[in-house]
Amino acid sequence: MSPLQFAGRSLYRQPARAILGLTGVAVVGALLFDMLMLSRGLIVSFRDLLESTGFDVRVTATEALPGLGPAVADAAAATDELRGLPELAAVVPVRFGGAAVETRDKKTRQVAIIGSETRRRGEWRLVEGADLGDGTDGGRPDMVVNRTLAREEALAPGSIVRLASTLPGREFRVTGVVEFPFEATGESMAGVTLRGFTLAFPTARRDEADLLLVASQPGVGTDAAVAAIRHARPDLHAFSIDEVLERLRHAEFSYFRQVSFVLATIASFFALLLVTTLLTVSVNQRLGEVAALRALGFSRRRITLDLLAESALLVGGGGIAAIPLGLLLARGLDSILRQMPDLPSRLHFFVFEPRALALHLGFLVLAALIAAAYPVILAARLPIAATLRRESIS
Amino acid sequence: MSARLRVLFLVLLVAHPAAGLAASEAVGQPVAEILVSRGLLQERGLSVGQIVMLSADARGAGARPFRIAGVYEPTPDPSRFTAKRLEARLHLPDLLALTAEPGEAGVADAVGAINVALEDPSDAGAFARELGARAPGVSVVRAAAGDDEHFMIIERFHVAISVVTMIGSTAFLLALMVIRADERREIAGLLRLLGLRRRRILLQALLEGLCIAAAGAVFGVLLAAATQGAVNAFFQWRYDTTLVFLRVTPAIAARCVALALPLGVMAGLLASWTLLRRPVLDLLRR
Amino acid sequence: MSAKAAIVEARGVSRVYPMPAGPVEALREVSLTVEPGDYVAISGPSGCGKSTLLHLLGCVDTPTSGSLLFEGRSVLTMREEERSRIRLHRIGFVFQRFYLLPMLTAWENVELVQSEAGMPAAERRARTLELLEYVGLAERAGHLPSQLSGGEMQRVAIARALANRPGLVLADEPTGELDDETGEQIGDLFDRVNADGTTLVIVTHNPALAARASRRLAMRSGRLAASPAMARP
Repeated sequence: MSPLQFAGRSLYRQPARAILGLTGVAVVGALLFDMLMLSRGLIVSFRDLLESTGFDVRVTATEALPGLGPAVADAAAATDELRGLPELAAVVPVRFGGAAVETRDKKTRQVAIIGSETRRRGEWRLVEGADLGDGTDGGRPDMVVNRTLAREEALAPGSIVRLASTLPGREFRVTGVVEFPFEATGESMAGVTLRGFTLAFPTARRDEADLLLVASQPGVGTDAAVAAIRHARPDLHAFSIDEVLERLRHAEFSYFRQVSFVLATIASFFALLLVTTLLTVSVNQRLGEVAALRALGFSRRRITLDLLAESALLVGGGGIAAIPLGLLLARGLDSILRQMPDLPSRLHFFVFEPRALALHLGFLVLAALIAAAYPVILAARLPIAATLRRESIS
Repeated sequence: MSARLRVLFLVLLVAHPAAGLAASEAVGQPVAEILVSRGLLQERGLSVGQIVMLSADARGAGARPFRIAGVYEPTPDPSRFTAKRLEARLHLPDLLALTAEPGEAGVADAVGAINVALEDPSDAGAFARELGARAPGVSVVRAAAGDDEHFMIIERFHVAISVVTMIGSTAFLLALMVIRADERREIAGLLRLLGLRRRRILLQALLEGLCIAAAGAVFGVLLAAATQGAVNAFFQWRYDTTLVFLRVTPAIAARCVALALPLGVMAGLLASWTLLRRPVLDLLRR
Repeated sequence: MSAKAAIVEARGVSRVYPMPAGPVEALREVSLTVEPGDYVAISGPSGCGKSTLLHLLGCVDTPTSGSLLFEGRSVLTMREEERSRIRLHRIGFVFQRFYLLPMLTAWENVELVQSEAGMPAAERRARTLELLEYVGLAERAGHLPSQLSGGEMQRVAIARALANRPGLVLADEPTGELDDETGEQIGDLFDRVNADGTTLVIVTHNPALAARASRRLAMRSGRLAASPAMARP
């Protein structure tokens, strides 16, 4: 009878204990698996978001993240200069602002406004209607709105949007409904041309851009594009997606990494402690049997293998069940965290990666070994004669 | 973007000792004063009394000298605790003068926002509506409760984690109670054989479970209280903040004990009951 | 007729257990030789060292002093792995509390030690059937120990002890938990085992069982004294 078969019989002998142990390992294992997904989830999800725009380099005036620092001055000249670089396929200036828009019931609502030139590649995705044009319709510049704003203000292509933050209130004509990659759930957003932006924010400085979106030439590579920009305009700050993410990893996203590490450590310790306790108690209850097997000629190695197999079945069985359970739990936890305000609606905290699965399986192996260590020591070092004598008396 | 935020990053770029500008003072031109955050002071190796150059332009054009009059500790912002607080505070006229474009009209009279503190905070909603009606083009909003929402969500997240942990630990607890009950199998059978009723044995199990659960719950609370210092110390060091991340309050401790006690007792009772349901002779048989 | 080597030869063996209250001398300079085919019964009051002697003879434990040879080899110089192999291949144990594995059937309990000894599957099957028939339990092969009576469990334990064709079978109070009648049945079985050529050493304070042995030894306070009864055949 192989150690695994033997271990299976040992667990089957006490089905309630085995089922409860497996359940406990599965639940705690699911939590651990989730923490592994959380540790890099934001980074992976954010990378997907950034890459979905089609731009792999971002250029700002300072090392501050886009939208949080000074604007790029002389944006038009900077844009033209960068467009002249052979390594770059596209350069798009973008401006950010917030304005109050008159609502249907004569109140106002805050709308985030993005200004971009009409030569677009991925600042937003058209869902309905037409994209921005360069002209104005009866003095009303074009505007695209997101689904939230369109739904809540009953806007459609052809509708008029009036800003309450300008005097007199500037009107825009809705040409289409779009989806912004970084729009938060419930957030109202609109896109206008650069010219439209200056009309919406008359006091804002002209010829500035909060951000230049850059796409490298296919085959050239992001690093070459960044190097070319840094060489041509050392006064500007060019970031690749990797550099942005590295920064976020160490700063803004670090809290969830820390939390996931702390929770994963606690979950691991908890699972180890309890599986060790289950196995140790189980061995203690079977000391007589173990001593008898040793007396019959079972080697220490065989006893060790039997206990390792039992640990493997407990931890392995529960750990494998933890994977679908963890995926389900992750959906729930992700839905909680994604309720945070001002978070892009397409951003996820828990993202499945093969790496997380590999780490989880690796932990299972380690946990089975560590959990069995103390019971193995107990069983292997058992004084056979003394145990047999004690069991006979008790 | 507010002018204040711009200045935030201007300091990063161009703050440097302006030894040569000490000469400006020598010829009687006063240098305006600023306060810098502790983080900025440490990051750039500045000191109180030092003269630094600030500019509204990323390239440093139009830089003006300012004397560091003091250092302040920014109020910890839980929603931004991961960000380094590199900031400075200027007198408003100085900031406006620094950030205005040459020849920009009305610069001395234009600000990004006005903060208002009311005598009676409960009037905030009515005040905002009335002011908004009287001042078209001005956006009047109550101080954001958005930060509270962040923490409500974080709390919900942690509660969800706690629930999952409790389910897992309950499974283990039940397993241990089943083992414990099984160890007492023969004793339980013997007591039943001697005539003791199931209820009497269960009462004993209940009392034992209560003692174990109480001791365990108290130990857990003490352990949490003991480790909260280490957790806070780590995160405060990591993020250079005075925020408290973990606090075991009497309410939390009471909640933990209130949850642990019935769980422990129920687990013990359940395990004992599954044992006592069996026929007496089964309990005594090897 | 050539003289066969002794299976076990103990000369002046002592076993001292260090205890918190002071060392306990469980065996004091005991000398005993067990020849092939012997049927030895060791009797004595509780705590006189009978089981300790049995454990030394069975290479479960090692003496504190003295010389102990198993099939001519010194047990004291053997490592635990080697003693384990001897116990598996050359010695069979029968315990007072049977120690059958409760989650395995009678068949599996007997087969287990053969599997551990590396016996091929076909040979194991044949041997297990043979042994269960030998002890009269072939029709109970698929039953768990919880479904067997005390006497039946002990018979399975005896079958297990014989599984690897050991040179020596040691039994520690084999009828200790059985009634007189069942004890007699076990005694009959031991007689047959010895008659078929297996060397037996039994520790018992059952006079009826001890009377069946060809050599009866008495122990008292860790020392061995030969009974004035039964000479060797």
